[in-house]
Amino acid sequence: MRARDNPFRTDQVLTIRYRMIDGSFLGMMERLPELGYRGAIIGPKGAGKTTLLEDLEPALTALDFNITRLRLDDRQRSFPPAFLKNFFDRLTVRDFVLFDGAERLSRLAWLRFKMRTKKAGGLIVTSHRAGLLPTLKECRTTPEVLTEILEKLAGTPPADREVRLLYERHHGNLREALREMYDVYSAKGEKVLSAEQKPKTLMAL
Amino acid sequence: MSELEIRTRNDRTSFLPGEELAGEVTWQTGSDPGPIELRLFWHTTGKGTQDVELVEKISFSTPLRNDRREFRFVLPNSPYSFSGKLISIVWALELVMLNSGDTERLEVVVSPDRSEIAVTADIAS
Repeated sequence: MRARDNPFRTDQVLTIRYRMIDGSFLGMMERLPELGYRGAIIGPKGAGKTTLLEDLEPALTALDFNITRLRLDDRQRSFPPAFLKNFFDRLTVRDFVLFDGAERLSRLAWLRFKMRTKKAGGLIVTSHRAGLLPTLKECRTTPEVLTEILEKLAGTPPADREVRLLYERHHGNLREALREMYDVYSAKGEKVLSAEQKPKTLMAL
Repeated sequence: MSELEIRTRNDRTSFLPGEELAGEVTWQTGSDPGPIELRLFWHTTGKGTQDVELVEKISFSTPLRNDRREFRFVLPNSPYSFSGKLISIVWALELVMLNSGDTERLEVVVSPDRSEIAVTADIAS
C-alpha cells in the first residue's frame, strides 16, 4: 500500500483526539483554578499526554491566555540558556505555558524552571511520573479505546481478541500499537483497498 | 459556509517539473470573505514526522463575495510526486479564506512522466 493511502499514516493518527476514560474534559478544566492553574498530566508512553495537552490549548485560549508551547524529546533534550533567559524575561500573567516532556529537565533545572514561571498565568506539564506539579490528569489507555481508534482509522471493526493482543504486545502504548498497524497495512494493505476483499479483521491482513 | 473551487486549465492534474500550472479559483460566501490565498505546496505523508514546504502563494486583493480569479504558477524542478511504503510526497493547491479558515484543496502530480513515481522496497534476490 502507498504511504499516502495507509489509514495509519501520521496525519491521520494526529486527527485522533484524547479520549477521556475517567472524568470529563470540563471537570478537568474546573480543577485548574483549584490548582492555581499549575498542574501535571502524567502517564506512561503512548497514553495520550501530548494529545491532551494539545486539546487544552483552545480551551485556555478561550480564557484569554496567550499560549506558549515548549517541548523536550529525544531530538531536543534541553533548552539553550539564551532561549530560556529570553523566555523567562518575557513571561507575564497573561501567558500560559504548556510544557511537553518536563521530566527531561534535571531536578535542579526543573526547580529553577518552576520558580521562574511563577509569574506566568499558568503552567501545565506532561511527565511520565508524578511529583513535578500537582496531578491534573493521569492518562491511561484501555483495549476499548484502542478498538475505537482502530475502527475510526481503518473503518473496520477489529476482533476483540486481536485488539487485546495488540494492546498487550505494546503494554498499552497506543502510539506504538498504531505504528504496528501502519506496518501491517503497508506490508499487505493492497487487499484493504479493494472493497470486495475487505478483511474481516485488521490483524488478518 | 463558503463554497470554494480550484480548477486547473483543461482540468489537468498532472504536470512536468518546471511546467506552468494555471487555472482559476472561484468562491461564494455570504459575507465579506476577507483575505484569500492560493498556496502551492508539497508535503510528506506516511509513518514518520510530516514535512511541508510552501513553494509559492498568491494573495488575491480586494476579493468580492462571489468572485473568480485566475492564477499561474511555474512548478519547480523538484521534488517529484512519489509513493513508497514509508513515505509519499504529495503536491497540492490549497485555496484558503484566512478569516473563516474555509479551505479547498486540489492534489496534483509533478513528475517527469506526469504520473506518481512508485517506490517499492522489493529487491530481487
